[in-house]
Amino acid sequence: MSLSHSALEKLATFRVNNTRASQETFQNASTVLKSFKRLGDDGWAVLEQLFLASVDVGRLDVADECLRQLGKQFPHSPRVDVLTGIRMEATESPDVVLEYYAQLLDADSANAAIWKRKISVLRRTGKIEKAVEELLQLLDTFYTDVEGWLELADIYTSCNQYIPALQALSHVLLLAAQNPFYQLQFAETAYTAGDIPLALKAFLVAVEMSERDLSDKSPPVGISVRAWLGVKLCSRRLLLNSSPSASNTPVPKNLHLIEELATERVLGVYSSKNSASRAPEGRDVVVGWVGDR
Amino acid sequence: MSQYSVSARAYLKLFFHAAKHPQSSVNGVLLGKEEPSGAITIVDAVPLLHHWTSLSPMMEIGLDLAGRHAESMGLTLVGYYQACERIDDTSLAPVGERIAGKLRDGYKNAVALVIDGEKIGSGEAAVIPYTPQGPIWRPYSGESAAFGPGSIFQLSSADLPQRALSLVREQELHQKFGDFDDHLEDVTIDWLRNTACMPSDV
Repeated sequence: MSLSHSALEKLATFRVNNTRASQETFQNASTVLKSFKRLGDDGWAVLEQLFLASVDVGRLDVADECLRQLGKQFPHSPRVDVLTGIRMEATESPDVVLEYYAQLLDADSANAAIWKRKISVLRRTGKIEKAVEELLQLLDTFYTDVEGWLELADIYTSCNQYIPALQALSHVLLLAAQNPFYQLQFAETAYTAGDIPLALKAFLVAVEMSERDLSDKSPPVGISVRAWLGVKLCSRRLLLNSSPSASNTPVPKNLHLIEELATERVLGVYSSKNSASRAPEGRDVVVGWVGDR
Repeated sequence: MSQYSVSARAYLKLFFHAAKHPQSSVNGVLLGKEEPSGAITIVDAVPLLHHWTSLSPMMEIGLDLAGRHAESMGLTLVGYYQACERIDDTSLAPVGERIAGKLRDGYKNAVALVIDGEKIGSGEAAVIPYTPQGPIWRPYSGESAAFGPGSIFQLSSADLPQRALSLVREQELHQKFGDFDDHLEDVTIDWLRNTACMPSDV
């Protein structure tokens, strides 16, 4: 019994995109355990993937078997140490887990993966200040860790600290300049922070990034739908009343034209002429919202 | 204080929303109407976000659209619901409190429901009602436990929690559920009605 080619492809896609589709991954559990040795190097990555999925769905018996095999194949591996820590997090008290991580960090203070596990335990046990302190230290040492900057932004946002969140996200934008997803996150955070001119500018950049390869006639899809909605939301607000910008971002001169274009693009998403198979849903409420002054 | 009754449709939608995204926060609004007796029936729920739940622009748009939808159905936005990321977290603040407060500006008897992660697999009512005391919202604590006999908070039928659980476990109906975030990625997803995942008698 082996994994089908399509199942392997799907699991590989999950790994590449860091997708947390634990239930779906776990469905392959028994097949993976029987056949992973025949997969070559990939087999160990699939086993690690199954380990994480098993912990997530609460099947610690399967997780333990995966960990046992990985530990046997890779003794003294820092990567397996992280998995051991994750397994502990599922059943042990936070203090026990933090003690384990402290020991590992004593031996190797530059183990970023373990450090991040420590920070995530601190965060989920409510020790937010300590988590932020450690995360800032980590980012001082590992400046290019995009995941770290994103986590920092997330912590700040969840505490309503939007300006520090924007500062963290600006590092993300420097490090991953071509990613429209992060640009969108920056725009939405700027809006939440109340800096509407900055949000508008960022939404427009997100539109430009995500529609770069699109032909003029096709309607927005995916990320650009959110981005155009953001442009419409901001431009309409700015037309109604001027809004101060903490970042001193100027308001574009052709605001009316921008708002009109956004209206057109959003309505284009809901045009029944688009979709090959099914019609867009909820068109009426969008038309109503778009038309409101 | 008013009496609140949660319909099957509303309860199932809350439940499916939380079940579909077990590792994220989810939120949405409650639609309802006031009966002649003054009691409030929570007739339906419209799911909003499961991604970037602390960020406001899509939340604002979603709220506006849900409000228009409610009006078109002769209903009002009567409340807010959320499930927290962590199973042991049943707090409403800070984001939820802000949104619930805003809804209260539009409807004075607005209520908030927070999903109880510990109870979601138990077959018992897995929601905690929050009510406002000034600007702060607190878990409702009345003489009778919420959703138990004699409480001002009732489910439309006692078997709802068990039914929700089996629909998720046996039929995986929650996988057919879509919120506003999903809709923004694929506008053919019917986030306002979600009829595809409702049993025929609901």
